[in-house]
Amino acid sequence: MYKYSKTDKQIVKARTKQFKNQVFRRIKGKLSEEEFKPLRLMNGLYLQLHAYMLRVAIPYGELSSNQLKKLAEIAKKYDKGYGHFTTRQNIQFNWPKLTDVPEILSELAEVEMHAIQTSGNCIRNLSSDHLAGIIKNEVEDPRPWCEIIRKWSTFHPEFSFLPRKFKIAVTGCDEDRAAIKVHDIGLKLINKNDRIGFEVYVGGGQGRSPYIAKKLRNFLKKGDLLNYLEAILSTYNELGRRDNIYKARIKILINELGIEKFKNKVEEKFKKFSNQELIIKKEDIKKIFSYFQLPKLNKKKGIVKNNKDPKYNIWLKQNVIKHKISGYSIVLISLKPLGKPPGDADAKQMKGIAKISDEYSFGEIRVTHEQNLVLPHIENKNLFLVWKKLRNLDISTPNIGLITDTICCPGMDYCALATARSIPISQKISNHFRNIENQKKIGDLKIKISGCINACGHHHVGNIGILGLDKNGAESYQITLGGSSKNDASIGQIVGPSFSEGNLLGAIEKIINLYKKNKKKNEDFLSVFRRIGISEFKKYLYDNTS
Amino acid sequence: MIILHKRETIENKYSRIDDQSTIKDIDNYTLINIYLLEKYRNEIVKKKLKVGLELFSDDNFELTEKNLSIFSMVQINFKTFKDGRPFSFAKKLRKQLDFKNEIRAGGHILPDQYIFLLRSGFDSVEIKKEDKDIWIEILDMDDGLYYQPD
Repeated sequence: MYKYSKTDKQIVKARTKQFKNQVFRRIKGKLSEEEFKPLRLMNGLYLQLHAYMLRVAIPYGELSSNQLKKLAEIAKKYDKGYGHFTTRQNIQFNWPKLTDVPEILSELAEVEMHAIQTSGNCIRNLSSDHLAGIIKNEVEDPRPWCEIIRKWSTFHPEFSFLPRKFKIAVTGCDEDRAAIKVHDIGLKLINKNDRIGFEVYVGGGQGRSPYIAKKLRNFLKKGDLLNYLEAILSTYNELGRRDNIYKARIKILINELGIEKFKNKVEEKFKKFSNQELIIKKEDIKKIFSYFQLPKLNKKKGIVKNNKDPKYNIWLKQNVIKHKISGYSIVLISLKPLGKPPGDADAKQMKGIAKISDEYSFGEIRVTHEQNLVLPHIENKNLFLVWKKLRNLDISTPNIGLITDTICCPGMDYCALATARSIPISQKISNHFRNIENQKKIGDLKIKISGCINACGHHHVGNIGILGLDKNGAESYQITLGGSSKNDASIGQIVGPSFSEGNLLGAIEKIINLYKKNKKKNEDFLSVFRRIGISEFKKYLYDNTS
Repeated sequence: MIILHKRETIENKYSRIDDQSTIKDIDNYTLINIYLLEKYRNEIVKKKLKVGLELFSDDNFELTEKNLSIFSMVQINFKTFKDGRPFSFAKKLRKQLDFKNEIRAGGHILPDQYIFLLRSGFDSVEIKKEDKDIWIEILDMDDGLYYQPD
């Protein structure tokens, strides 16, 4: 994985010092809250419902065991003993004191971590495929490209005060695990006539106006990547709306201008004004790639074997994937134990995972955008041992990809923007569908829950999406069906009037029943929905309810 | 107000005039706005005057891109420090339009933005005299390490 250069270290250190100065000026009253807000946000510090929240960057979801140990220490020392992994592969601490934040940043810097650009109207921390570099059928590892973009976008003098936040995701596979089509820019590495380059998507996003990204370029040469990104960002910075915060994302600009006009502007800038110094040289690409080599994995003959413990066998089938090197596996750690808040891990669990990774996974860990963790290189002969250790930490739930593997935002339990609670809804679903055999019968199904229209819980792209609303002072939940963030990305359709918290589980149960009735062989929920359409669900749900 | 050019205070040679002014009131180092520019552009070019142009972050920058040679200075005032358009415009002036004269920032800007301003192509800032120390302090915290080329 990437290791900081001397320059990286100095830049992070300088930022910590600068932030200390900003906090000092805020406390002394020399910066107003209005002025301090964008500065603290650009450093990942939010003011939530009850306290400050610090979002720490985990660039493209990759962590070392030392970094995870440090996160565990921070959770214990400065927070309430836990952290929350997010849908953009970062981690949030929900209870730090403002005065402790400079110290937390100094501690993070010790392990090459920071909170830079995890919030604010700037280019956010990059996200990527959590299986990058370890899965077969990959065109190219996207992580080095993420690192190249991370550097270019960090403290970019022109793009640090954009109309709104800006999110970029990169994938190197046909199978999209990075949700690139719901990002402001989505980059997909492709092989065209034996040349590798990027397909460029732009203008995707969720929030109150969801859009699937449109294709901007069929093929972009690797060396041109940064100049092309500059052309997009510069066009957006000049023309993006600043009169209405809800219409300020690039998706709105593209929708209002039309993709062709937008494309013409970008292409003109790119062709006429590319900066020679931004062209990425082959030797620089090679150097970055050298950081992302696999650890020394010797091909082994060991196969994945069942065991006499049925619980282990279920976990093996659901949470373990084949590594591209024979004899190794990828272990997905579910942070969705039954009935617990999705994405949370306590200090003991973080430390424990770091230790397991040191012993069995070369000290590497990944974070998924679905709020789970990955041990990327487990030798097959060690799988049973790893499972036992995970079980002791209470993180061996075999529900990856199943109905209880929900994505969920913090909702009204933490967030000042939320209109309803989302964590308790996730917990209820988790408890209701706790039977693992039943979950497996339902099969692949993504439930995504947001506590407000800002859609941090990605409800628009949930196969079943749940949006928490405030209806005359009472929480109510709107259901959308048929969303997906994969290659065939689609925005979910509203099934009908919203449900009270009390009626919500019954409605989900009915949706599942209709799916089961119509399911042919191995058809998953999304396929059935696309085949029979929303009207069937509508009819079944509301006719039966009344 | 003072004009800070990197670390030094410099003399402000420019004087503002109001919208009622006529071409007679415009001389070298007069600071005109977009309205006066549109009204007297041809006369200014004809008289070969060197004037300063004062813009706001929400002005239509494209209107200013013609006859750039008449401007000895362009001042862009941020209506709010959160409006990042001037960064792109300054860069465009330098890189695409090859503008060599002074670009000055004014309006609601924070000392924390000073490095970004200088790196985008601004030369100077108009700030309150009493704020000079904090602007210099923050400038001095910068160690010149950046990920992007100039």
